[in-house]
Amino acid sequence: MSAPTAADPTDVLLEALSAAPGGFVELRWHKKSTRGLSVEKGRVDNATAAEHSGVGVRVLESGTFGFASTDRLEKAAIVRAIGQARAAARASARARTERVPDLPAVPLARGRFDAAGVDATLARPIEEALGLLLEVERGARAASTRIQSASTGYSEIFEEKGIVTSDGAKVWTRCVRPEFRVVAVASKAGEMQRGAEAVGVTGGWDCLFESRGAAELAERAARQAVDLLDAGYPEGGRKRVILSPALVGLLTHEAVGHTVEADFVASGSCAAGRLGTRVASDLVTLCDSGSSEYKDGAGGTLAVDDEGVPTGRTTIIEHGYLRSYLHDRESAARSGVAPTGNARAWEYDDEPLIRMRNTYIAPGSSSLEELIAGVEDGYLLDGASNGQADANGEFMFGTREAYRIVHGKRGPLLRGVNISGSAFDVLQTVDAVGSEFRWDLGSGHCGKGQPAKVDAGGPWLSCEVVLGGRKS
Amino acid sequence: MSQAALDRDAALGGDPAAAARAREDELLAACESLVGLALRAGAHEAEAFATRTDKASATFEKGDLKLAHVDEGASIGLRVFRDARLGFAATNQFDRAALETAARAAVALAAASPADPANRLPDARPVAASAGLAHAGLAAAGIEEAVDLGHGLVRGARAFDARISVDGASAGVLRVSQAIHSSRGVRAAESDALVTLSISGMALDGTEVGGFHYQSDAVRDPARIAPAARELVDAFARVTAGNLGAERARSSYQGPVLFSPDALLDLFVAPVLAATSAIAVQRGRSALATRLHERIASAGFTILDRPDDTELAGAGSFDREGQPALPFALVEDGWLRGWMYNGYAAAVAGRLSTGHARGGARSVPGLGAHAVSVAPGAGGSRADLVRALGRGLLVQRFSGSVDPASGDFSGVAKSSRWVEGGREVGPVRETLLSGNAYALLARIALVGGVAERVDGAARAPWALVDGVDVTAG
Repeated sequence: MSAPTAADPTDVLLEALSAAPGGFVELRWHKKSTRGLSVEKGRVDNATAAEHSGVGVRVLESGTFGFASTDRLEKAAIVRAIGQARAAARASARARTERVPDLPAVPLARGRFDAAGVDATLARPIEEALGLLLEVERGARAASTRIQSASTGYSEIFEEKGIVTSDGAKVWTRCVRPEFRVVAVASKAGEMQRGAEAVGVTGGWDCLFESRGAAELAERAARQAVDLLDAGYPEGGRKRVILSPALVGLLTHEAVGHTVEADFVASGSCAAGRLGTRVASDLVTLCDSGSSEYKDGAGGTLAVDDEGVPTGRTTIIEHGYLRSYLHDRESAARSGVAPTGNARAWEYDDEPLIRMRNTYIAPGSSSLEELIAGVEDGYLLDGASNGQADANGEFMFGTREAYRIVHGKRGPLLRGVNISGSAFDVLQTVDAVGSEFRWDLGSGHCGKGQPAKVDAGGPWLSCEVVLGGRKS
Repeated sequence: MSQAALDRDAALGGDPAAAARAREDELLAACESLVGLALRAGAHEAEAFATRTDKASATFEKGDLKLAHVDEGASIGLRVFRDARLGFAATNQFDRAALETAARAAVALAAASPADPANRLPDARPVAASAGLAHAGLAAAGIEEAVDLGHGLVRGARAFDARISVDGASAGVLRVSQAIHSSRGVRAAESDALVTLSISGMALDGTEVGGFHYQSDAVRDPARIAPAARELVDAFARVTAGNLGAERARSSYQGPVLFSPDALLDLFVAPVLAATSAIAVQRGRSALATRLHERIASAGFTILDRPDDTELAGAGSFDREGQPALPFALVEDGWLRGWMYNGYAAAVAGRLSTGHARGGARSVPGLGAHAVSVAPGAGGSRADLVRALGRGLLVQRFSGSVDPASGDFSGVAKSSRWVEGGREVGPVRETLLSGNAYALLARIALVGGVAERVDGAARAPWALVDGVDVTAG
């Protein structure tokens, strides 16, 4: 599609801002360009280039927020949208019980922020990605005679944003997030099993395939699908388990991260009123960061959030004690703390919500072998699928692979199951934390009304959860 | 959209039908223009699909108004084939330069793709316009109506039980127009208007936080809005308040579980929809591929696609490829009746599409059902089914995953209740379900007598299914 924007978009935004004075105004020009490819059984199902751009306008008027948008980066259209947002706020103010006070002054970002990998990724011809997908998909199908079908996919989101606010933010950002995925379906005697691998980063292709190449991911997916055909089921019940970095990522994101989002806290999540109290074993330090800590390329990396607040690292749990929630400007003002840079919007016509960025448990000192040796009767679980959590901290997430551990020895592969527990109860049972760190949830999206690119990860970790196994 | 188009809409505001037609004409003109540009750029076949959405919504957070949101936006997607090679581009910019860029991008992608003989656009077929999609009574509704509706949801939940904490609520008025034009003569347009309602939260009692619950609806008929809002609040509040005091399930077992319409759709209908995609069958990843015209479920279990049911959000007269969207039986009385085809799958099979191309303007047409409806059975009311269960678990929502390839599912039973002596005795927590959806279709013991609307998008009854693994936490 079109080339990256050459002119600073904040110039037009500032012109519009000065033409519509009065009260708090936040203008966010957001251009999202995506390229997407998918291949199944040698056929191209998707070869897409798409662009979605415009200006989101948020105002604080009559003690409440109003939002409108325009698809034109033009002064007149933006001024008109500011008027619509103000009218919407005025029309709805009667329903607002607790008026939003003026937002206090906070340090806001100014300048240009480019994430790594933008130019190199955009310069890479799409034919190269398509060639890779076709080759890797062919390889996955050839991995075993039991493979019935394989598919590969590549997507790339290139985002440019210009953000200005009436209280001083002036930001121009660019980042690119490529993603690769492979799925293999194997069958035997009428039964089917599926193997899947995916990786997504903020950065270029070097970063995308830094840990594992596309062919290796495909080989793993095919092997997983075939091996699961002969695998049994774990037994259900409360068990000690070793979670892989991907599953630790799901635990931090689903079970803890959502419950400490300040909007959720205000509604009465299980984290409400627990700042300063013990919520986890002292082996647990859990953070959310706009940077890619420990390893480059985390999928939720961003320098500035969509309110123009610089992102940093927020320590949520420190050695077992709950230290902070995740805030936007409004919730931070109400709590009398600094915003944490967690306000994010999916597209220009979406309003910023409190969202995570890169959420993780800090690594400890144990090797994986030591963790396994420490389990008398339990399971090692790997491969994250979906996950959800409740306000009360009760979470559920899916695993793709399970291995029985008896007397400190790992047994054969079993089918993955969903696991459940209450977040803070589970974190209290952590008795060992591994030293190897990995980001592992950079592909896919977090959903909260709007999608968001996030990442999560951590080390291997030993804790107690409930497994949904089989009775037979 | 252009300022001129917005001004014209405002001028036609007094005549909703004329305003909707004007929006459709403008989208058709844009589609026609883009198809022309694509053909000039080197495409051998081209299809453009465009949508325009006008939205006014109010969102509430922790029981108070959070944001009033007004918006209008449009998108257009272009699918091209060049020497049977696929390319697709989409944009929300409708000026000529943006459309030319999109046309060039789609053709360039097609040049890079390998050829596939099934890559051809479907021919035009007659489409009968759906009645009752864009009700005139919603034409003038805007932000004030959305605020009132959302406020009503919050107040209603609190009035039901002061312990209920409304985490989020929203109400919106959505007007959508869509149009399609292709180089093979397909040309259709339609407008729709909906009021959307949603509410989520939990009940709090001292230090106890009850299980989270979510409920939503979408309504076209203005006369149904107020009753639908009341029913939504009532259902949400009953479940949410009822989640307080949850205990662990009294036992783990393999046996019968009573599923709500929502849970039935997630656990048993969704995998059937995935497995009856003709593409899944053709590509060897459908678990039902060899079972067409066989009995795959218990007698009395019927799954239909009803795009003519205008009480469901997915209703419409044509699909994403401009093919007629018609009622379709997937499973009838337990028998697997047919596969769903879009244009691509139909070309592979050498037959006509069943009108199941799905998706929006920003992506290549996919394949799926429009408005799923599970027929009611002879199992009677929820109370009758609880009596039939006798002892075991009642599940109102399933939070987990179902693998469409194998049918294996595993997840948490949400807002669930324990049944003892044929009556609901209390809420349970941390209870996991697992099993195989395809195997359990044949163990549907009873299907309830009322098909309830689920999220305004589907209909399904309660159902009692035997052989489910239940693990108490």
